[in-house]
Amino acid sequence: MTKLSSVAREQKIQMGLKKRHRAETRFRLYGAAAIIFGLMCVFLLFADIIGKGHKAFQSTYINLEVTYDQSVLNVTDPTDAEQMSLGDFHGVVKLGLRSRFTEVSGRKNKRELYSIVSNGAGYTLRDRLRDNPALLNNKVKFWLIADDDIDTYYKTLGEKNGPFKGRMTTNKEVWLKELIKSGDIEKRFNLNFFTKGDSREPELAGIRGAAMGSFYTLLITILLAFPLGVAAAVYLEEFALRNRWTDLIEVNINNLAAVPSIIFGLLGLAVFINFFHVPRSVPLVGGLVLTLMTLPTIIISSRAAIKSVPPSIREAAIGVGASPMQVVLHHVLPLAMPGMLTGAIIGMARALGETAPLLMIGMVAFIVDVPAGFTDPSTALPVQIFLWADSPERAFVEKTSAAIMVLLAFLIIMNTFAVVLRKKLERRWM
Amino acid sequence: MKKIKIKTPNRSAEKATEASVDYPEKTVGAPLVENPKMSVRNLDVSYSSKQAIYDVTLDIGKHEVIAMIGPSGCGKSTFLRCLNRMNDTIENCTVAGLITLDDEDIYAESMDPVALRAKVGIVFQKPNPFPKSIYDNVAYGPRLHGLVSSRAEIDEVVEVSLTRAGLWGEVKDRLDQPGTGFSGGQQQRLCIARAIAISPDVILMDEPCSALDPIASAKIEELIAELSQNYTIAIVTHSMQQAARVSNRTAYFHLGRLVEVNDTEKIFTAPTHQLTEAYITGRIG
Repeated sequence: MTKLSSVAREQKIQMGLKKRHRAETRFRLYGAAAIIFGLMCVFLLFADIIGKGHKAFQSTYINLEVTYDQSVLNVTDPTDAEQMSLGDFHGVVKLGLRSRFTEVSGRKNKRELYSIVSNGAGYTLRDRLRDNPALLNNKVKFWLIADDDIDTYYKTLGEKNGPFKGRMTTNKEVWLKELIKSGDIEKRFNLNFFTKGDSREPELAGIRGAAMGSFYTLLITILLAFPLGVAAAVYLEEFALRNRWTDLIEVNINNLAAVPSIIFGLLGLAVFINFFHVPRSVPLVGGLVLTLMTLPTIIISSRAAIKSVPPSIREAAIGVGASPMQVVLHHVLPLAMPGMLTGAIIGMARALGETAPLLMIGMVAFIVDVPAGFTDPSTALPVQIFLWADSPERAFVEKTSAAIMVLLAFLIIMNTFAVVLRKKLERRWM
Repeated sequence: MKKIKIKTPNRSAEKATEASVDYPEKTVGAPLVENPKMSVRNLDVSYSSKQAIYDVTLDIGKHEVIAMIGPSGCGKSTFLRCLNRMNDTIENCTVAGLITLDDEDIYAESMDPVALRAKVGIVFQKPNPFPKSIYDNVAYGPRLHGLVSSRAEIDEVVEVSLTRAGLWGEVKDRLDQPGTGFSGGQQQRLCIARAIAISPDVILMDEPCSALDPIASAKIEELIAELSQNYTIAIVTHSMQQAARVSNRTAYFHLGRLVEVNDTEKIFTAPTHQLTEAYITGRIG
């Protein structure tokens, strides 16, 4: 090559370099833009959910003076459970309301008046009396939970477009103003939301039933799916011969991972409920169905984790005379465990958010009681979200968002747990 | 350490080619010894349909260091891995012929490969300590085979093994540190300590120095010389110089056949077979 061409060559390289640098910058910008877009979406989602849902953590209470009048209640002995369950506590509430708003007359107006306090208020009065029998025939002032119409109206009072009226009547607005003036209405922490099951009355509906249902269901899922998945993965990777059968199994596992979840629901309905007669709507059957759904994910990720253990470690163990089982238990599993856990958590997160298969096995039912075990009818968090989102009452909008927040909190707790566990188990090699 | 002057290539000699050389009907030299520790008779090994070793017959004497040399792919590593049945773990690997350890067939039905590997230890090409502490690395084998019961016994085995591997002085204060955090040479000596902790009769070494620098290699070679007083050692090596330095006998493999076996000195100074000569003079390899 001549000297002249070497100068030209230098120029060409310089030109090319500029172009390359520009391309490099653009490439980096694309990546940054993608991340910014993703973060914005997450931010919008969270802002919307928290913006709506935070209201559900408070509910409106009305301070009302009531008299535990023995003749109204029909209760002579507050320690007698039978009497207490038949007692007309709502009558006490009604009387209390009437003496608070003495000017109200006429049947229609009175019924309107009674509806500003929730149906659940009577139960609160009963519980208070049970805890303190001395209250009988006495006058007491209690904060009683307001009806959801009042609750929604009161919470939206300060809004730009004015409060949400819904089923509010002029009468109710007047009474509400009076209560505000006398300071007998206020927002308090909504304990019901965290301690109660579902209800038709939005102000009484709680997430605990669904949360416990999800908890029991996921407990079954992880207890079954993780050991089964790991055992299957270990066998396929470490012990099974490579032949047509194992190939067939592998293809099928991969296919199963891609099967729509509702199919697993149908399978659960046909096999567990109709054939094995497992009761429907219970966490046990939900857990079994979600186990079937999660297994392929766990097997695939566990196999990948096992494959990533360097063969030199296996050889080293075999070389000092470890039996195949010892190689797996002492070396392969501990080294593969972080990867397996990641897979398990991904599977569990998917199972936690799964609604479709649960619809098929009856976990979509309206269940008021908080489940106390694996065989109590229950629903699950995503199903509860679906049910509330479907309800006509305006007050369920904030409940829905709050339920989503609880579901997200569940997920975050699970993921944190997994990350901590992984960090603890992780060991570096090479 | 022995000093052997390796035969220098004869530049004028015609380059040996495959076609020009016939394989010997029988291995040239002295494959058999009296009173062998291990003996191999008519060994054939193949992976699927590809045969890797053809009809190898060789004795390994007690407390000798035997070096396996030969060009890449000649089957020397495969041969070594047959001696403690490491090849069992490879699917489609079939082994035919007879291998005995102390006159006992190691491929017999009654022989448990786990028990065999407690007697025939192995050190691999790439240092592969477990991702555990140094202490646990060395103690793993003895614990596995139930050779030790009390903590004091384990402590003793760990100290003796590390001392024999020439590592005790360097690591005695750092026994709880992970074995993977040390230099390549130290890791390899740790692997040797791990192998001798179960006091095997035979130690197989599969190119133990090929991943190490010359200084670390020299240390390993010294170690081999010391260990040969107590153990029978079979070593595969790429380096003829190393074979010349550490071994008593040398076996030359070529394309799956054992071409020549003899005392190391004879092999390197007066090889009988022309293939051996071609290899050690650097014309093939």
